[in-house]
This record gives sequence, C-alpha cells and structure tokens, in this order.
Amino acid sequence: MKKFLALILSLIMALSLVACGGGGEEKDPENTDGKTIKVGLICIGDENDQGYTYNFIRGKEAATEALKAKGINVEWVVKYNITEDSKCEDANMELAEAGCEIIINNSFGFEPHMLKVAKDYSDITFIACTNSASSRDDLKNTHNAFANIYEGRYLAGVVAGMKLQEQIDAGKLDADKAVIGYVGAYPYAEVKSGYTAYYLGAKSVCPSVTMKVKFVGSWSDATAEGNAASALCDEGCVLISQHSDNTTPATTAQSKGAFHTGYNNDMIGVAPEASLIGTRIDWSVYFTHAIETIANGGELEQDWCHGIDESAVVLTDLNEKIAAPGTADKLAEVEKAIKDGTLHVFDTSTFTVGGQPLTHAFALDTDGDFAADSEEAVSDGYFHESEFQSAPYFVENIDGITTDE
Amino acid sequence: MEQKKHEPLIRLSKRENMATWQIWAIRIGSIFLALFLGGFVIGATGVNPIKAYSTIISGSLGRATAIRQTVKIAVPLLGCALAIAPCFKMRFWNIGAEGQITAGAIAATYFALFWAGRMPGPVLLVTMAVAGALAGGIWGLIPAFFKARWNTNETLFTLMMNYIVIGIVRWLQGGPWEGQKGTQIIPQFAPDACLPRVFGIHCGWIIVLVMVVLMHLYMTYSKQGYEIAVIGDSLNTARYAGMNVGRVMMRTMFLSGAISGMVGFILVSGANGTLNDGVAGGVGFTAITVAWLSQLNAFAMIAISALLAILQKGAQTLQTTLAVPTSISDIITGILLFCMLGCEFFINFRLIFRGHKAKKAAPETSADSNDSPVKEAAENE
Repeated sequence: MKKFLALILSLIMALSLVACGGGGEEKDPENTDGKTIKVGLICIGDENDQGYTYNFIRGKEAATEALKAKGINVEWVVKYNITEDSKCEDANMELAEAGCEIIINNSFGFEPHMLKVAKDYSDITFIACTNSASSRDDLKNTHNAFANIYEGRYLAGVVAGMKLQEQIDAGKLDADKAVIGYVGAYPYAEVKSGYTAYYLGAKSVCPSVTMKVKFVGSWSDATAEGNAASALCDEGCVLISQHSDNTTPATTAQSKGAFHTGYNNDMIGVAPEASLIGTRIDWSVYFTHAIETIANGGELEQDWCHGIDESAVVLTDLNEKIAAPGTADKLAEVEKAIKDGTLHVFDTSTFTVGGQPLTHAFALDTDGDFAADSEEAVSDGYFHESEFQSAPYFVENIDGITTDE
Repeated sequence: MEQKKHEPLIRLSKRENMATWQIWAIRIGSIFLALFLGGFVIGATGVNPIKAYSTIISGSLGRATAIRQTVKIAVPLLGCALAIAPCFKMRFWNIGAEGQITAGAIAATYFALFWAGRMPGPVLLVTMAVAGALAGGIWGLIPAFFKARWNTNETLFTLMMNYIVIGIVRWLQGGPWEGQKGTQIIPQFAPDACLPRVFGIHCGWIIVLVMVVLMHLYMTYSKQGYEIAVIGDSLNTARYAGMNVGRVMMRTMFLSGAISGMVGFILVSGANGTLNDGVAGGVGFTAITVAWLSQLNAFAMIAISALLAILQKGAQTLQTTLAVPTSISDIITGILLFCMLGCEFFINFRLIFRGHKAKKAAPETSADSNDSPVKEAAENE
C-alpha cells in the first residue's frame, strides 16, 4: 500500500516539476510603430501540395512583406488540412474567437460553412476565395475574391500555339496534327473557362490547332493526372497542359516527347525538355489590398477580381531553350493588348459554338439553382468573363475542343 | 509451484480481488502518466507543456462557443459508441459503424434534398431520422445475415461494407446530387431539414443522451440484452439454453446499424447541413475506442467521448494560439488511449518477477522494477 501511495505522489511531483521546468518563454509581439492586424487563413491542404495551397502560402508570405513596408504588421493564424464540412465551420469560429479581424477561406467548398459563422461575427471580415455567395447573401461582412487566371492561360496558350506553329512551319508536324491535350480536374466553370481561354490563345497564333480534354475527377491525384496525360499523348496530342495540382502531366509529357505548359507552379525544374511556361495566381496582390483596406478602416469591396492588370495573374519564367523564337516579344505584345483592353480573351469573332457565333449567355445565377439566369455576358463583341462576379462563369462548349465529359 | 531450471523473468497471473479504490487509482494514475509522457512530446515543439494543457482545457471548455463545439464533436462519438456496444458485448466485431453512419446519412439526405417543402418541418426531420435508422440498420444487417447463415468473418465483412457505401456517396456527390456542375458538392439543406438548435447546439445531443438511457435499460434489464450477454460469454451456453444465436446476431446488428444510421442523420442534418464522402470522418473507428474504454457501460461513454472531444477541440485551439501542429495532439491522444487501455491489463493481471516469490531476490531486481510505476503498482497488492 505504501509503495502504491508513494508512486502516485511521485507522479504528481514529477508532473509539477515539468510545470516549473518549461515556463518563462513568452514571446513578446514585435514592438514596431505600425499597426498590427490578426488575419486567419483556412487551407484545404498544406504547403506540401506544391500546388493550390502552396500558392496561397506564397501569397501570404509576399503580402506580409509588402504590408510590412507599408507599416502594417500581420499576425497570421493558419489552419491547414481543413475539410469541407463542419470542421470548416469550427475553424472559422476558432479563428473568430482567437481575435482575427479577417478570416480567409481558400477553397471553393468552404463558403457554405463559413457563412454559418459569418452571421454571428458581423465585425469580422470573412473572405471566401473562388466562390460567389457574397452577392446573394445579405451579410455585409462576407467577401469573394478570384483572379482572372483565364488571362494567364490565354498567354500560356499563345506560347503553346507558337511552338506548334513553329513545328508546322518547319515541316515537322502536319497542320491537322496540331492537337493539344488538356488534363482537367472536373467539368467545372473555372476549368472550362480556363481551357477555353488556353485554346483561344493557342488558336490565335496557330489557326489549325484542336484540343482534347480529359477530366480526372480530382483536383489533385498525381497518378490519374499522369495517366490522363499519357492517354492524351497516345491519342496523338503533341502538347499537354493542365488544370490540376501535380507535376505528373509535365513529366509524362516529357517522357512521351510532347511539350507542356503548367499551372500553379514553375514546372521547368521537373520537365526541362517539355515545360515551356506556367501561369499562376499571385494571391499576395489581393491579400495586400484586403488587409491594408481593413487595417486602415476602409471599406473592402464584396467581390474582387483582377488579373494581368494588377499582376494578380503572373506567368512563370519562359523556357527560352525550347520555346519558339520570338515568343517573349509576342507575349509582351499580347499582355499589353489585354491590359489596355484592345484584346479580349473571349472575343466572339474568334470562336463558334455548334457552328454559330455566340450571341447570348447569362452570367449570374440569382436563384441558386446552379444555372445562370441573369446579366447578359455577351456584348461589345466579347464574352465578359469575371466582370459580373469574380468566380468564372464561361461554360460554353466551343468548336475545336472535344471533351470526354 | 515447481521450481523449473529456467524461470521466465516475468510471469502473468490473473488477479481477482483488487480494491475498487486501487483500480481507480491505477486508472487515474495512467491518465497522469499519459499527460506526463505527452508533456515531453509537447516540450519537443518548444512549448511549455503546462501552458499547452491549460490551453487545451480553456480552448475546449473556456467559453460558451468552445463548449458548444466540443459537444458537437462528442455527440457522434457517443452515439456511435452506443451503437457498437451491444455488438461487442456479443463478441461480434462490428467495425463497419463508419459505413452504417454513411448509409444512414445517405437516406436522410435523400429526404432532405427531395422532400423539403413537401411536408411540414418536424415530419420531415422524423422521416429523415427513421430513414437514416432503417438504412443504417439494413447496412448492418447484411454482414450479420452472412455471419448467421454461412459463418463469414464479420470483421472483414463489416470493414469492406464501409468502402462500398463511401463509394456510393462519391458517386452521388459528383453525379445525381451534385449542385453546381463540376464542384463535387451537394447543396446545403433547406432550413426545414436541419436539426433545430437547443442552447446553441443542434439538438442531436439530446437525442444521444436519451439513447444512453435507453441503451442502458436495454442492456441491463431486457431479455434481449441478457441474450446478448450470454452469447458474448459463451456461444455454446447460449445454444444449450435454446437461443437462436443467428437471429439474435441479426437483430443486434440491425439495432447497432440503426443507431449508427441515426448518428449519420444527426451529422448531415445537425452538424454539416449536407452530405459528403467524409461524413463519418473516422467516428466509426474512434467510437470503438470509446466503447472499449467505457467497458461497454453506456454512462461511462459520456465521460470518455467528452474526454476525446475535449482533446480534439483543445488541439485545434492549441494549433491556433500556440502554433502546435495538430499532429502533435494526435500523438498525445494516442499516448493517452494507449495508457488508459494498457492500465486495464495491469488491473486484470499481476506480474510476477523471477525470484520475487522465493524471497531470494537480489536487491537489484526489485530496484529494476521501480522505474515502471504501473508495473510497480501491479506488483504491489
């Protein structure tokens, strides 16, 4: 018995020892003159995905630097690997209770769960990236943001088209064999808008080009993406692009002797003989804007969308070794034309739907039945993508692109 | 006892009469030991363990909103542990609660999506609950039927059933029930199809508390509960007593699946407001631990599920405020469960060290045993 009691006592003593041992390491917040603002970021993955969430983390870090230069210190609280269910609601509540003034949700599927929390914290700014409910809900503190990634894809498409045209001109490729293979995640508006823009970019410099799209049924599945790229090459595609998270389409393209353009990340490192260029969203532009606005007591717009104009969409380095000659000059020219508004990506004179030019399409879904029903998107000779809301809404199936949908 | 030439260092013997206070002292001691060991893990991340533990407590119980979230985590754990208890009492290893939850969730979601607005709110909720229970029950009945009829292995069977039903949800998510095309997301339910809140938490917590009482009564006082206990103790006794073992198995598994199905209904209607393939989220497996730790006692399950919920919610706060990775708190939970389950071993068995009985023991031998407190406790009656 005595031994037994002694044991319990010693355990308690040991525990209190730990208590005394560890203390005294309170970290003082950096003492600077500027303001400090606490910002929460909820991520569907973590940096290790080297794709979607990694791109957000890069944006977060660059925004922190940019804001520091403006005298605003950001104290980030990041929640990783949150799923699109009540865990997301918990994470939003957790960050709200922790005193965050801004809470950013990085995944499309987070929004409905974020909205359940946002209504109870009207003084906190809630941002759902890539989604669109802020215009429909009656909450003032909910916001959406996206970037015109379709502009980046159009430019990447120009690079791809120039490469194909170069090969056609050199007699290495028949004009009708200029087929692009595109690995897409799901037949979702963002993906459709993206690959259509990409195709139009390629077509603008290589008129005979056609495109095949395969959907892998996942935003990130390295094996399936590689398999899809491989199948596309076997079906005669000579250039691969992608809207999915992994680098396997790039490596597969290289091993099959095809070219490639990437997304989210510079893929020249993994496929130096195939990868021509990549495009990605630079989230630091929006983060800097949103945090600065809130920190200075300003009013943040409910829906934000910029692209090339504010460098919210950027291209990764051009692989000069394999790109067609003159690509860099052409890129600069097209980029300038997009910026000054003389070139529209979805110019209705450049494509047809079912053999007919596109004259009518709605932009917004106001009744929540997932079909657009208001705001004419086609006017002045082009489709106004991402102007009525930041989330893309181009869902037409244009001629020249075949999908396995 | 005959002294052999080579006596093993440690022998085990079943122990019978340990005082209740000693049993509880060992149990509480094991929790402290776990916290102590967990302290080193936390310390390795550069955070003061005491501060970390107090953050876990304040993060999970410190505020009304925190308590609500903790309860929300505990509800499905408790409900599912209740579902598993009768099966395990019967020694029928149902590890398919995950799938039974999901099956119930699918059935409840069907009514939430297609019958909302076509019947009054309360009727709709009751319909969803009944549909969930039936679907979960049937999903549980299938492996029980095969076990009763052809003596298939229920462990593998119930496990495999999980993957099938989760596959069905994936198909629904990307196919017929998908909201905006290509999003893989089923739309949020209409308000009618969502469980009302009581004290700020969906009223699933009331449902599971009622089920605790019912399950206790069922297992302790009903004839069916007695049959389950007899089958668990000895199949042959049950057969000799004239019980239809196969029937009892199927009945019990239907009940178990039905309760899991109710949990599925609570998850979609109360917590998530929609269905996705992760709806069960491992609850079906964690609940096994809850059931075992509570020794299948319905009331003890309340405490154990609360403990796990506190750790889980506290871990989230720990990550938010002290930037401790959530995986660290998974490790601590693991250590805690290990110690709590492990201590039952020392309650049921005593260790006899070589030479201890013979009183010829060299002093070093007993000194050796001092480093392990639990062993020491077990050794010292």
